[in-house]
Amino acid sequence: MNNMEEIIRTFIAEKILFSGNGYGHPDDASFLEEGIVDSMGIMELVMFVEETFGITVEDEELVPDNFDSVSKLAAYIRRRSPVPTGS
Amino acid sequence: MNVADYLLECGEDERVALVADRSHSTYLDIKKKAATLAREILEGGAQPGDAVGLLASNSLFWIAGYLAIMKLGCVAVPFNPAAMPAELSAMVGFTGCQLMCLQRRYLRRFSEALPGDLISDDMPAYSDQDAALWNNLPELESDEQDAALMLTSGTTSSPRVVRVTHKNINANTDSIIACLDLTEAERIMVVLPFYYCFGTSLLHTHLRVGGSLVLCNSFVYPQTALDLMDAENCTGFAGVPSMYQTLLRDSAFPRREFPHLRKIQQAGGKLPPILIQELVECRPNAQIYIMYGQTEATARLSILPPELLRSKLGSVGHGIPGTKLQVVGESGEDVAPGEVGEIIARGDNISPGYLNNEEATSKKFVNGTLRTGDLATVDADGFIYIVDRTSDFIKSHGYRVSSQQIEETILQITDLVAAAVIGEPDLAAGEAIIAYVVIRERSQVSPDEIHAHCRQNLPRYMWPKEVIVVDSLPKSAQGKIVKSALRERHNAELARAE
Repeated sequence: MNNMEEIIRTFIAEKILFSGNGYGHPDDASFLEEGIVDSMGIMELVMFVEETFGITVEDEELVPDNFDSVSKLAAYIRRRSPVPTGS
Repeated sequence: MNVADYLLECGEDERVALVADRSHSTYLDIKKKAATLAREILEGGAQPGDAVGLLASNSLFWIAGYLAIMKLGCVAVPFNPAAMPAELSAMVGFTGCQLMCLQRRYLRRFSEALPGDLISDDMPAYSDQDAALWNNLPELESDEQDAALMLTSGTTSSPRVVRVTHKNINANTDSIIACLDLTEAERIMVVLPFYYCFGTSLLHTHLRVGGSLVLCNSFVYPQTALDLMDAENCTGFAGVPSMYQTLLRDSAFPRREFPHLRKIQQAGGKLPPILIQELVECRPNAQIYIMYGQTEATARLSILPPELLRSKLGSVGHGIPGTKLQVVGESGEDVAPGEVGEIIARGDNISPGYLNNEEATSKKFVNGTLRTGDLATVDADGFIYIVDRTSDFIKSHGYRVSSQQIEETILQITDLVAAAVIGEPDLAAGEAIIAYVVIRERSQVSPDEIHAHCRQNLPRYMWPKEVIVVDSLPKSAQGKIVKSALRERHNAELARAE
């Protein structure tokens, strides 16, 4: 099971979309294009990543290649995380 | 003069007008696209005076559609792609749009809300016949005709749709260009949406001088805006307070060099003095223009000259050329320095009124004078300092949010007796939305349920930050909730808690 992707999907569904029906988008869906995460949500997502995975997200790393879909974010966290993240 | 002709008059055909999605478009490219769209809109049955909708992100298609609609003597109605479909549907009906220029990516989200006739961004190729048609379109009958309808806050039962005429746009654009001393050398980074009057003013001013616009629709990732600003040697940036909060506190903006950045504009709410100071310190080579305006004034009303930023910190300045601003007391006379009064405005940029809302129009526009609803003082030099607002809206993340709309939504929960929504100063949002509610006796409804109800029924930027349950709300002798008293009480509690 892709634990990382599931953790991210669950966070976005519950804390950003407040959806009772789960995430509802494919893992490669662009947050920006689909309007899934906006300026307010992106900062909450950054805080979530920092607090949950012990990563400090540098300002220069907050870019679409690292953050703009569940898959991209999962890959970024795996690259940066100091602990095994079960891919 | 038709705004479309006015905006395209100065840009040389081969000059880059637009940078978007890594591609460059010249003024000639814009003219061709607009001509093709004008033909399509005409073939769609549009007549002069008809409202034609525009639902797209900032793009060449948006700009060309906007120009085409106005050139035809029709009225452009820009819509927010983040709106709830039900609200969009109501506004399509209210404004009478039977035709919509639409980016295809929004078709699925809004399919039920759109008018029957759509013109998509999947356009036919340009032909010389399009140019011939464009050049032979009739002149405007009068520049007092509506050019655009700008949606602002207001409930669906009493929408506030601002009529903006060709004269309004031409006048306000001339004024802003003069204030900011804009030239064809300008390359402005645009992160503000064009459906918002501040964003549209950037489009108007920079097209009129023959400059360039660099579009960034990914400010959600501020780094992308910074990289683009660098790569395209942007000379200008414009933003609302929450954007400056992001740039200064959550991005590499203070640490990077932008040697070409010379003109920074701020409007859309009050930027806290601490952030103004940080902006000045990290951008010593740029001119910072603090401005104030309203959609009802096309865009801008006042400017604080950059050289007075320190000595008049916190002021919104004085009226822009062609606009007379006064701060008046209840008698209608100018207040003395230090006294509080309402800002009123006169000028060719003042809208003739709201669409189909006589009651709201008569209160806001009195004998051609705009009652801004903003309370202010003036100093001995005549510089204006805003202190409060009489109008019942909140400026949150750059959006003008109707308190009444949130209250009406909350009150759909039948266990609530009363609700009052106010704004609380917030560094990130500008103002955060706070909802005070009175719950029916013996009811079990919780703040969490009220939050959930708001999330289901309102767009995100209208969600309250906090729901506070109280036994009662401060009321006037006539039984009306007194929001100023509620705000005072709330701010006093905040101060005590700090």
